[in-house]
Amino acid sequence: MKNIFLLLILTASLIYSQSTTGSIKGRVIAADNSPLEGVNVFIPATNYGDATDKRGFFEIKNLPLGVYTVEFSLIGYKKEVKEMIELNQISINLNVILYEASFETKQIIVSAGKYQQNKDDLSVSTTVLKPEMITQKNITSFDDLLRYVPGVQMTMDQVSIRGSSGYSKGAGTRVLTAIDGVPFYSGDMGDIVWEMIPLQDIERIEVIKGPASSLYGSTAIGGVINIITKSASKNPFTNFRSYIGTYDKPSYDIWKWDDSFRTFYGLSLTHSNHYKNLGYTFSVRKFDDMSYKQNSYYKRYTAYSKINYLFDDSSNLSLLANYLYSMRGNYLYWKDSRNALVPKAGEENNKVRSNRLFLSLIYDKKFSESFTAQFKSSYYRTKFDGIAIEFTTSTANLFRNELIGTFNFSDKFRLISGLEFSYTKVKSNIFKSPDYFGTGLYAQLEYNLTDDLILNAGARYDYLKLDTLKGANAITPRAGLNYKLTDNLILRSSIGTGFRVPTPSEVFTSAGVGGGIDVIENPNLTYETSLSFEAGLLYNYSKSLRFDAAFYQTEYNDFIEPNLIYTGDIQFINLPKARIQGLEAIVDWDFVPQMFKLNISYNYMWSRDIQREKAMKYRPRNVLYTNLSYNHYPFEAGIDFRYWSKIEEIDDALVEPPLNYVKDGNKRVPVYVADINAGFNFFIGSLPAKTFISLKNIFNYNYVEFLGNIAPLRNISLSFELFY
Amino acid sequence: MKKIILTVSIILLFLINGCDKGIEPADEITSPTGFKGKVTFTGNWNNNIKRTHLVVFKKPINKDEDFFPPNLTFVIDSIPKGSSQFNYNSLENNYIESFTISAGEYSYIVVAQSNSPELSLLRKDWVVVGVYCENGDQSKPKKLIINAGKITGDININVDFNNPPPQPPGGM
Repeated sequence: MKNIFLLLILTASLIYSQSTTGSIKGRVIAADNSPLEGVNVFIPATNYGDATDKRGFFEIKNLPLGVYTVEFSLIGYKKEVKEMIELNQISINLNVILYEASFETKQIIVSAGKYQQNKDDLSVSTTVLKPEMITQKNITSFDDLLRYVPGVQMTMDQVSIRGSSGYSKGAGTRVLTAIDGVPFYSGDMGDIVWEMIPLQDIERIEVIKGPASSLYGSTAIGGVINIITKSASKNPFTNFRSYIGTYDKPSYDIWKWDDSFRTFYGLSLTHSNHYKNLGYTFSVRKFDDMSYKQNSYYKRYTAYSKINYLFDDSSNLSLLANYLYSMRGNYLYWKDSRNALVPKAGEENNKVRSNRLFLSLIYDKKFSESFTAQFKSSYYRTKFDGIAIEFTTSTANLFRNELIGTFNFSDKFRLISGLEFSYTKVKSNIFKSPDYFGTGLYAQLEYNLTDDLILNAGARYDYLKLDTLKGANAITPRAGLNYKLTDNLILRSSIGTGFRVPTPSEVFTSAGVGGGIDVIENPNLTYETSLSFEAGLLYNYSKSLRFDAAFYQTEYNDFIEPNLIYTGDIQFINLPKARIQGLEAIVDWDFVPQMFKLNISYNYMWSRDIQREKAMKYRPRNVLYTNLSYNHYPFEAGIDFRYWSKIEEIDDALVEPPLNYVKDGNKRVPVYVADINAGFNFFIGSLPAKTFISLKNIFNYNYVEFLGNIAPLRNISLSFELFY
Repeated sequence: MKKIILTVSIILLFLINGCDKGIEPADEITSPTGFKGKVTFTGNWNNNIKRTHLVVFKKPINKDEDFFPPNLTFVIDSIPKGSSQFNYNSLENNYIESFTISAGEYSYIVVAQSNSPELSLLRKDWVVVGVYCENGDQSKPKKLIINAGKITGDININVDFNNPPPQPPGGM
């Protein structure tokens, strides 16, 4: 009996080990590594197949052993076919990434009109960025991302769209940066703290080029950058990301000031999920950069959360909280060109400590098919302490509320209107302690005159009062059209006005900047206005080749700029007249569809201070950006090249006798920067992972964006991401 | 494919090592840069004068604004009232510490007087009483050329209170 039992077991084992069927199982994820549910996974010409579950897992069971082709398809994504899959055991693992079919679906944009529109229907120039760039280029701060956007120029940390700004240490931005449409600039300086932007939670970035004051008010005189955050994941989703890198040695031995490796690294952990109608995302990040310059280091910690509650199909509430603590060296200018990576004497230990908290609330309510409303409220507290011989400090509390109504009178006729209030209280030893009140009322009409012609027109009224200064009233109208001449050729044009009221820092700053030079207040500073015109065309030669070109012109009155005045001090003053004209051309070409992409953009810009008959400061006349990318799963790679012609005008008074404050500060060159990156996607078990290597400024070319500040030396970094 | 990768690598290596490096360090200057000379006075000093300075301008003064920095480049210490001769050196007699002079051409070097006890940078507060010029012709200012690492000498100005030079635009 015992022998019979043993024989049965042995027979069963033998049968099992020689099984003639097996299963193919695995996981399907999207390019951002979130799991894809409902993907159809099947073996063509058979009945074998499965659909992925909430976490992206699938399993095709009871397959006879053999060699198979497996297809993966989901609406909105490119089909993926895996051939020659050999099933020679009980089970094999097959993990796949599906990419969005970007050219097959129209790009949606919400910033141009404060409601959802197709990008091809707009009357203004726009660029939409996808978050994949962040990993590929190992972007550690949002401003680095903007360095690759056509028509956008970063001078150190100051953003400018089509020449709207020169350099004023971030004070008084002319580009309104918003998170989910909620403005994000500080109450005292009006600057943007790029490090706070939640890189790990970006769905897309919309860049509106040209004045948008008629919808967004004072700070949007040069354009809008709107960061759209992701919706919370429907299933548990955690992302861990880390990177580490090092700067190369300087090109010249006399520039070496430290023999150790100058490294930088970062860590972030993000978790997102849903519980019934509640969606949430939490994230913490830490960044550390020793810098290639002495006393230019930083240490940053951020915490971010977004909670979304869906009351019903017609209303939802979103709460966002974002906190930053940072400590950094305060490197202003080099000592001289022989000591180009060392600060001026006496500034070796200056540092800045910052605490910032941004809270926003967005409530959406759809009252009917023809009327929806949105309420946005935000609070932004910023505090910095400048620790040097002279201690500087400023705390600003900015409160903002906005009510937006969208009326769809018909399929062809839409009205967007809103009402906005803001109040800022500043407490500072360099900006005085002013308060600042603003209110705005706006309306914009969109009318589809025919299927091919879309017209829009609108205006905004603003009243702003900065402390004891006389209140400023402004009306900023605009009008635009979009005309589809043929299926492939779209024309657009717009004319609009803009205005910008000076920030407390521009009016009231009273502080020494070293070398006996002071920044002094200017209570007579008045608001600036602009009149802009744009005409552009978009030509879709084929699904894989697109051209976009635009001519633009802006006339500024009372343009606000920092200047050295006759007393030897720096003061923000109004330039009577300035003019910027330009031509922008962009080519997008998928020359090997779904594998090789080429993007080339060129911007010619002629900027003029009319009174002085000189170019405006820190505006390059010629800018060329190119990007070549390769994507063939599991590999990704890219090459970027940026060129700026030599800046024509800088702050001469700071670099020439008699002040000579920034010695050799007039040393500047055209900018040639090339970056390369390469990445590999893989799975650790069923967990998707990716690693990227990024080499920036590969020629170790020495250039400045702003006088006396050598831009980052050649640096290499390695990043690793895990998704589970 | 291997050939392409090899070719691209060689080109990249060539570019990385062979390209222009952009901004370079300036040449080392071991000796000081400046100028020196003497100012001689003829005639009687005005009793109301509070300040007398030798002043260097980058370009000639054509409008009030040109009297201010950055066109106003350098100021020598105040010359004592009643002097008949004043020897100066820009390294030792720099009146405004934050001002420095560097190599270059300077078009208008003058001795100017003011009734204001404080140093004023307003054109209207000053009278030009002597000009660094060609062959004593004060209507023809001579350029001061300063070379890096050298002290340019003999920058002499004769002030004749009885024969004042032409005044630049503006003034009292």
